[in-house]
Amino acid sequence: MTSIIQKADQALDRFCQITLVVAVALMLSLTLLNIVLRWIGHSILWVEPFVRHLVFLAAFLGGSLAASRNSHIGIDIVSKILEARGSEKGLKILCLITAAASMIVVAWLAWASWEFMLSELEFGQEAFLGIHSGILVGIMPLGFAIIALRFLAVVTTLGKPSGKDITGS
Amino acid sequence: MEFFIYFLILVLALLGTPIFVVMSAFALTAFSFADIELAAVPIEIYRLAAAPTLLTIPLFTFAGYIMAESGSPNRIFRLTQAALGWLPGGVAIVSLVICAFFTAFTGASGVTIIALGGLLYPILIKEGFSEKFTLGIITTSGSLGLLFPPSLPIILYGLVAKVDIDKLFLAGIVPGILLIAILSLWAIKNGAKSPATERTKFSTEELKAAIWGARYEIPLPILVLTGIYGGYTTASEASAFTAAYVILIECILYKDLSIRKDLPRIVNDSMTLVGAILLILCCALGMTNYLVDEEIPMKILEFMKTQIDSQVVFLIYLNIFLLIVGALMDIFSAIVIVVPLIVPIANAFGVHPIHLAIIFLTNLEIGYITPPVGINLFISSFRFKKPVTTLYRASLPYLVLLLIALIIITYVPALSLFWFE
Repeated sequence: MTSIIQKADQALDRFCQITLVVAVALMLSLTLLNIVLRWIGHSILWVEPFVRHLVFLAAFLGGSLAASRNSHIGIDIVSKILEARGSEKGLKILCLITAAASMIVVAWLAWASWEFMLSELEFGQEAFLGIHSGILVGIMPLGFAIIALRFLAVVTTLGKPSGKDITGS
Repeated sequence: MEFFIYFLILVLALLGTPIFVVMSAFALTAFSFADIELAAVPIEIYRLAAAPTLLTIPLFTFAGYIMAESGSPNRIFRLTQAALGWLPGGVAIVSLVICAFFTAFTGASGVTIIALGGLLYPILIKEGFSEKFTLGIITTSGSLGLLFPPSLPIILYGLVAKVDIDKLFLAGIVPGILLIAILSLWAIKNGAKSPATERTKFSTEELKAAIWGARYEIPLPILVLTGIYGGYTTASEASAFTAAYVILIECILYKDLSIRKDLPRIVNDSMTLVGAILLILCCALGMTNYLVDEEIPMKILEFMKTQIDSQVVFLIYLNIFLLIVGALMDIFSAIVIVVPLIVPIANAFGVHPIHLAIIFLTNLEIGYITPPVGINLFISSFRFKKPVTTLYRASLPYLVLLLIALIIITYVPALSLFWFE
């Protein structure tokens, strides 16, 4: 079971990394294209909202990398104290608690945004480029689900006796 | 039951659960108990996708990370050394300037200390500065420059407080220079005192060579600022231009980095930070909306009005409060959580919104080196393998100096506002 979760986690990691590179390349090139087009009196209207949604997507994918690298921003005084005392076991337990809590809350968020997406698919409208607003809202359930799975992988890795050290990042 | 859950969330927060998780848990719980559809939370989160200057956050951060990984720190160091190294304490001043430059582009995320600390530490020690002085100045410099454009905290503040980012960029320049000037005087005093400190002679040849060496970096700040203030580009477009320009110089002109080998890794490293910040930002939208709905800022204001009757007294309390916040929380969460509460109150006391932004950011900048949990103290402790208590002692003089600067910035609003009057 653990190894399946870890394989899925590695695949997700790869997916997030590649999608992020593509998203950043698109943000950059489309915005530059619009600057150049404006000089000759043109502009593509869908670029601006499209790029904003790419950033929105990048927030979730970047957040999923942060989840697996244990580099989310939090109040880290307890972990600093444990680190200073060299208590590896304490750090591991702490990491386990916070990752498990995060997994539950983020899964809850994924579910709430899934509900929002369903109603948006029903009552929303076309936003730009023929993309329905429900699809755009779908970034949230997808993003939160990925992050929740990353936290699940952290929990299962830490749960094993000789799990890889993720507390040191 | 309700109380128990909030208490549990608080405990999880103190144990180090990611702030965005804590805020979401709070919002979801509050809406559940109020019998409001939970979809209200993602509706608020989705508002982030409509924020107009959103693009500046990933692209400026990406550009900063590229520069930090390239040979830019060395080239800019050589340039500032050639220009300022002849002053007493010159190398220390050089360190302050170069750290400020990099912090402005990397957003005070600890990258400055990690990327430049290893370069500056041995040089400062070799020049005869004490270890205490050196550790203190590098630790402090890690957040210096946070008031200069295009720093991430300024952009975030503008987004949250709905203040014009272009104006904030301008307003931060003079207060930012003041911070560097005060720390430079301290460096001159220490440089003159230390007998081992030898001054480098000024050489026109070396300056010319250094300018030539950094010929592609020098135009960058000028291009960004004229682009925005000349009205040629929006802040978002300027960020795209900066990222493209930095890729051009580091990968093609200087050939420091490889587009295929290095850039994908740097994209992922920088987006890890961007994701962490943006998740806090969007999840906070759900929570602050709840707080504003409950009129919490207005309640605090009414209470404060019974205690405080003048703007000056309000500003004193504000400074103390923000120093505590800055020492306990990282700057991004602090902006997202505290700004919506403070802005209406400060407004009622007649504090100009742009002046408030500069006061706010200066306080949080000082929070970076305030014991016990200022984040720079830990980053330095990690980077230089010193106990954190050594860092507490080393940064103390700098803390005092920055507090003096804070008092000036707070009580002389003209420093931030003279552009607009």
